[in-house]
Order: sequence, then C-alpha cells, then structure tokens
Amino acid sequence: MESFLSIGIALLSAPFFPGIILKVKAFLAGKKGPPLLIKYYTLIKLFRKGSVYSTTTSFVFIFGPLVSCAGGVMILLFFPLAAIAPVFSFHGDVLVLFYVLAAGRFFTIAAALDTGSPFQGMGAAREAFFGTLAEASIFAILILFYRMNGALSFSDYFIGTTPISLTGPAGALLLLVIVALFMVLLTENSRVPVDDPATHLELTMIHEVMILDHSGPDLALIEIGSFYKLFFYSAFLTLIICPFNPSAGLVNLPIFYGVMALIYMAIGVTESMMARLRMNLVPKFVLTSNILVVFAVILTMGFIK
Amino acid sequence: MRLLVLNSFLLSLAIIVAGGVIPLLTYRRFVLTKCLYISVTAIGCISGLYTISSAVSDPASLDWSWPWLHLFTLSFTFDSLSFFFLLPIFLICPLAAIYSFFYFDRAENSFRTAISYLFTNLLIVSMALVTAASNMLTFALVWEVMSISSYFLVMYDYEKKPTRTAGYLYLLFAQAGALLIFAAFGIIFSHTGSLDFSQATAIPDSAKLLVFFLAFLGFGSKAGIFPLHIWLPHAHPAAPSHISAIMSGVMIKMGIYGILRLYFVLGATDIRIGQTVLIFGMISGLLGVLYALGKTNIKRLLAYSSVENIGIILMGAGIGMIGVAQDNIIMAGFGFAGCLLHVLNHSIFKSLLFLGAGAVIKKTGTSQVDQLGGLMKRMPFAGKTFLAGSVSISGLPPFNGFISEFLVYFAAFQGLKYTNSTMLLSMMAIISLAVIGGLASFCFTKVVGIVFLGEPRTEMARQATEGGMFMVMPMVFLAVSCLVIGIFPAGFVELAFGGLSDIAFLRQVDAELIQTIGSNLALGTRLFLGIFFFVFLCRKLLYRRKEITAGSTWGCGFTRPTTRIQYTGTSYARSVVDFFRPFAIIRETDIRLKKIFPERTVFENRVDDIAETGINRGLALPLLILLGKLRWIQHGNVQLYIGYIIVAILILLLVLFI
Repeated sequence: MESFLSIGIALLSAPFFPGIILKVKAFLAGKKGPPLLIKYYTLIKLFRKGSVYSTTTSFVFIFGPLVSCAGGVMILLFFPLAAIAPVFSFHGDVLVLFYVLAAGRFFTIAAALDTGSPFQGMGAAREAFFGTLAEASIFAILILFYRMNGALSFSDYFIGTTPISLTGPAGALLLLVIVALFMVLLTENSRVPVDDPATHLELTMIHEVMILDHSGPDLALIEIGSFYKLFFYSAFLTLIICPFNPSAGLVNLPIFYGVMALIYMAIGVTESMMARLRMNLVPKFVLTSNILVVFAVILTMGFIK
Repeated sequence: MRLLVLNSFLLSLAIIVAGGVIPLLTYRRFVLTKCLYISVTAIGCISGLYTISSAVSDPASLDWSWPWLHLFTLSFTFDSLSFFFLLPIFLICPLAAIYSFFYFDRAENSFRTAISYLFTNLLIVSMALVTAASNMLTFALVWEVMSISSYFLVMYDYEKKPTRTAGYLYLLFAQAGALLIFAAFGIIFSHTGSLDFSQATAIPDSAKLLVFFLAFLGFGSKAGIFPLHIWLPHAHPAAPSHISAIMSGVMIKMGIYGILRLYFVLGATDIRIGQTVLIFGMISGLLGVLYALGKTNIKRLLAYSSVENIGIILMGAGIGMIGVAQDNIIMAGFGFAGCLLHVLNHSIFKSLLFLGAGAVIKKTGTSQVDQLGGLMKRMPFAGKTFLAGSVSISGLPPFNGFISEFLVYFAAFQGLKYTNSTMLLSMMAIISLAVIGGLASFCFTKVVGIVFLGEPRTEMARQATEGGMFMVMPMVFLAVSCLVIGIFPAGFVELAFGGLSDIAFLRQVDAELIQTIGSNLALGTRLFLGIFFFVFLCRKLLYRRKEITAGSTWGCGFTRPTTRIQYTGTSYARSVVDFFRPFAIIRETDIRLKKIFPERTVFENRVDDIAETGINRGLALPLLILLGKLRWIQHGNVQLYIGYIIVAILILLLVLFI
C-alpha cells in the first residue's frame, strides 16, 4: 500500500522539481524566473495541441517518445523512494533497468535519425557517444555496490540487511561515488557542463536537437520521460547521501523530498557556476567519474575481504 | 528406442544429402530445382529438429560408430552439448534455403546454383556431424568437409576478383586453423596413444595447457577471434547473403563448439585457461564493434559485428572456466549457460540481419550504407524485421540478446567476491561488456538510421521495392523468435543449462535458482512491454480529436535542403572511432585544389583493421620477400625438374643405406 502511494506521489510530483533548477538559475542571475509549476503548465499546453509530422519520418519517430517514457516509468517502479519498499524488485533488477534506459536512448536516437536532418544526426552521434561512456561509469558504480553489499537490486542496496550509506562500513568510499554519480547525472540528463538545456543554437545541442521535430503530446511524453529520469538519478543520490530508516515508512517522505530539492538546487548552482565544456573535453569529464569509481573499487580490496 | 532415434537422425541427414544431390539432376528446370531443393532440405532439417526433441527426453546419450575402409573407426556420440549446437544448425539452414528462392533469381546461373545447393547441404551435414564427433579422425574428417564445402560456397561469384581473394584468404585461415587443431590432437595422441577423446583427461597438466592453447588458436580462426578474424570481413560480403547468414550464424559457432568440447574433454582446471579466453573475448568484443562502427559496407559491418558477438560468447565461456578453477558453481554454470544461450541468440539475430542486408543489396544494387536511406517506407517488412534484429543485437530488452548478456553479467558479478586477479578481471569484464553493449547500439542505430530511416540518398535507394514472400517469411519468423525468446526467457535459460547437463566436469547449478532467474527476467521484459503498451494507449487517448498535419523536417532556418545534407555513416561514427585512435587507424587520402581553376579532387577515408595491417606488414610481406629470393628454383625447364627428382631420389637412397 505504501509502495503504491509513494510511487504515485513520485510520478505526479516529478515535473515540479525542474522548476526549482530554473528558479535557482534565475536567482543567481538576478532575475525573477518562471513560476515553480512551469513544467506542469508546459505539459498541459502540449497535451492540448496537435502535432506536425515530417513527411520523411516513419513509425520509428513515434517509438522514440513511447520507449523513453516507458523506460522512465519502469525505473521508478523498482526504486525504493524514501526507503519505502518498491512495487517490484528482484535480484539483478539494476541490470534490467539500466538496459531499459539504454533501450530508450536507442529509440530516441533512431527517431532523431528518422527526420533526415543533419543537426539531429549530429546530436544523435554525440548522445550515443557520451551515453556509452556514462554506461561504463554506472556499471563501475554497480560493481562497487556489489563489492560492498553483495546485492544487485535497488531495494537490496538501500532497504536490505546491510544498506549502503555513508554511515555504514566503507562509507568513506561513497564520497567518491557521490561525486561520480553527480557527474553521470549531469551527463545523462543533458545538463551543463555537458549540454546546455537553455541554448537555442542547434549546432551546439546534444539532447535538445534530437527532439526538435517532435511536437504536441509526443513532446510531452518525451518531457515526462526526461523528468522521471532526472528524478531517478536525484533519488539515487539522495539515498546515498542521506540514510533513511525503512521502518519509518511514509514519515520519511518529507525529508526525502527536502533532500531531493537540495540536490536539484545543487544542479541549478552548478549550471550557473560552470560554462559548458568544449565537445572534445566531455569524454574526459565522463571518464573522470569512471576512474573515481574504479579507484574506489580497488580500494575495497583493502578493507572488504 | 535409442536405436529408433539414431536411425531417424541418420535418416534426416540422408534426406539433406539427397536434397543437395537432386538439384544436380534437375538443374535445367530452374524454378522446379529451387522448389524441390527447399522442400527436401526443409523436411530433412525439421525431422532433425524433431529427432533432437525426442532424444532429449531420453537421458542416455547416443553412440554410433562405423568402420571406414576397414582401417579406421568413425565414431559419433550425441550428448546434451551436441543437441544444443544442433539447434541453430537445423533452425537457420532451412530458413536460409527458403530465402535462396528469392536470392538466386537468374536462371542462366542454374548449374552454378545447383552446385551451390549441393555444397550447402554438405555443409549442413558436416556441421551436424562435427557436433557429434567423438574420435580425432572423425572430427578431422568432418571438419575438413565443412571448411572445404564452405569455401566453394563463398566462391559463388568467382568471376569477381574480390570474391576470389576472399575465398583464398578464407581457405588459408581455415587450413592454418586446421593445422593447429591437428597439432593439438597430435599432442594428445602422443600421450595417450588413442584416437578417442574420452582418454584425453589422462594427459599431464602442462601438456593440457599447450593442447588447449593450440586448439584455441585453431578453433579461434574458425570462430573469428581477434586477431585471427581477418577472413571474416572479406568472406561475408563476397558470399551470397544466405550463405553469409549460415556461415556467420552457424558455422563460426562450430569453432566455439570445438573450444568448449576440448575444454570439457581435457578437464583442465588451470585458471590461466579461463583468463586467456576471457581476455581474448574482451579484445574481440571491443575491437570487433569498433571496426564495425568504422565500416560503410553493410555486410562488412555485420561481419565485424559477428566478431564482437563471438567476443561476448568467449567472455561467457572464459568466466565459466574461471568459475570452474575457483570452484564457484554459480559462476561456472551461469558463465557457460550465458555463452550457450548467446550462441543460439546470435545465430537467430545475425542470420536475420544478414538476410535483411541481402534483401537491401539485391533491391538497391549497392551495399554502401552512405548511398541508401529511407528504405523503411519502401521495404516495410525488411525494415521492421531488421529493426527487431538491431535491437536484439544491441542487447536491449525486451528482445533476446539481453537475456544471454544478463546471464554473462550474473556470472561476472559472482567473480567480484574474490580479492585476487579474478576480481580485477571480472571488473574489467563487466565494464567492457557495458561498453560493448553501448557501442553495439551505437553501431546498429547507425545502420538502421542511415539505411532505413531519413531520405534516400541516391536514385537506386529511391526505387527500391519489397522482395517477395520467400524473402519476407524467414525474416519475419526470425524476428518473432527474437521477441518470443525475450518475453519467455525462462524456458530458454533452462534449455541453455540443459545443454550443460551431460558434462560430467561441471556440477549442476541449483534448479530453483535457474527458475527464479528465468521468471525474474520474464517479469522484467514483460513489465517493460506492458508499460510500453500502456503509454501507447495513453498517447492514442491524447491524440483523439487532435489536429495532425504533415510538413517537412525543420531545417533550422536552412531553406534549400537536399538529401545529401543528412548525416552519413562515417560522420556518425567519426567521433568514437577517433577516440579509440591507436586501435582504429583512420587513413585519409585528400587531394586538394592546388591550381587556380577547379579540377578533380579526391577525398577518401577508411578505418584500418590493425590485425590485418599487422599480419600484412609483419608476416605476409617479409615472407613474400624471403620466398621471392628463392624464385630462381622455378625456372620452367622440364628437363631440370626431372633432374631435381633424380637428385632427390639419389640423396634419399644414400641416406637410407649409409
């Protein structure tokens, strides 16, 4: 029962948090910024519209939004938000879920190539490249967690017998993981310094240009999928930073969403403080996160027997 | 009962051989030949499949021996591993035969087609017997029949020079591999004095190491392990597409079968064996997919992708072997099961991709990726099935490639529990498997995106049409099997473990764990498919009574778009190939304008395979220069040649009698 309530609240509240990022960026720029509920207004506006489809595209163009949205929903169903048991969970579900996200990326890229536009092809090539490098970092994190915990499931990571937290054994290694995971979050969700979501120059875009031809409810589905994906990565970071007591149940929710808001604010601060990196420096950025986690794994050889 | 099963198996092999001989008699009536061939071969293969299914229920293994020329005994033993490897043979070959109805469409080549059919069926029969050979002589005989018949199949278009080159290269590597395999057999024979495989466990451990490495290199040249894979990217584009499907889907797996069978027969537990196999697997996987990204010929790209998947299969086998050495039942069992299931999965989706590529090449006349485009609308069935094959080969749920990769991951994670080199190798294996998966989806979004999506780049692509029913049926069947294995994985995971059940060397993994993993995977893929359909329904609801219009693609302000401004395959893959620079050398030839007036300029860029350039520069050229110095012996004077013979006989007589 609690699981369904928790997932329902998550699915409905996910569009609220990107508004925090926009508010923080505006505040640091000395502006007032859009209202906090801006993304809800955007979604309602898009739901009301129809669509224009390019004559070049085929059915694959429609699959892009569908698969990426389905992936975003699925990954939240398996995640123990606020240390409440998730709706589904099994040993090995992390592998299934990250490959589901990769399937979403496959179809988004295919939809971008379907339009026959050179800009979309460019964005697709970049997204595929950086996404592959980010996958390597994520799997390094999964390896580290397996070394610490022996678990291959999100619920076992955080609600199992030996949950992963900064206060647990080998907790200091999690500092490296937090930095690495934050870097992966910025890469996978197209944030500065990897990609600027607010740019209007197609030549410099990565993710935005791939969805340029989508309109109406298709675009709304893409946006929802990206909100859920960012929510998932932030929730992952939250549960690592802040240990929750599983038995407290729904009481954890306010603290959980508070820490989530802090993480989104950190994203906003990062976006305001840094400029985006030159394209050929982005692989170095992503691989730095990989090296940090691999280093952490090697450190476990010292004190986990 | 056992005799009945054995007899029906031999009957199906006999039917397949007959199916190969019939075209030689009826080749003047082309369509009749094709129909007869397809039906007889299909009957043979289906009865073979039926035999397997009835034999599996009978737990005892089948033995058969036949005295040949009253000198040697050819003996065959069918056990669970043999039956598992027979599955792709009897599944893919009839589908390739049905496809050949559409592919061989020129009646003036009917005699050549009949010969090709004969050698195809010889290939099928010899591959089936390879899985069963239990005696060194038998194995050598059927292995050579397999290599030679596939050589003749590759040489179908022998008038073209690239085909001849590809054939010679293939024959060279096949025979070099056979040389290494027979050397390994020779070492076993020198220790045991018997030709039978079952005696091989008795040889000393140091000999086992040498035998395995020789055989690994020999079988590896057949399987396509880096750096012995060089023949693959030449032979597959040269051969007819359904032959490429059979070769890539089934024949290279016989190399994997050889490695596995020899490992189980030797019973070696040295951890270095597993480590070597795993490292070669990682290298083949990464470099295979990297070169696939760099290629623009669609069949060459698929050939390198086969190298990548052989790498994944070897990684599974290597992790299994390390598990055996570390005495970890789960690691060993899941590693080998992942290896076997990926053999089956790869045979299905790679054949599908080759059949699709063949359809594209047949209908557009070009195999260059950068001259195609927009084929999804013109060849809808080919496009949809090719898309299904691409998603499968990238290892994405809900298709079958993900299931076997999951099993390999599961085994590799088990290896993280240790604190020695096994942990480091397992970590490298998991990260490389993740990178291979990412690069594979990169590669296949390139193929699907550039070939099937977007706008046609040339007139040939614009005029393409769908092939007939015979082209579509096998591809649809294979695509549906990919989805079925993905949605109902539990049965197939158990099938993979069942393939290991007769191996006395491996202890059996707990059946309950296998069932749990199978049902969890089923839950994962079915849930994903369910959520997908739910979102699809939501989208349909959202689009009710909404205005949908058509327009052209947003050109970002560019008002005169053409089809040539689209991204090409080379540009799509450029950044990542450049990233791996020491392994993927990009050679660019660029002749620029030097004078004032415009003139012809050339730009060419290609990605070189370092194995090919390495063997060329390091082995082939020095050998040619050295042997060139001995040219003077071949002067063409017959009298002096007879003189050579007399001198040689005199020397031998002197040596023998002094």
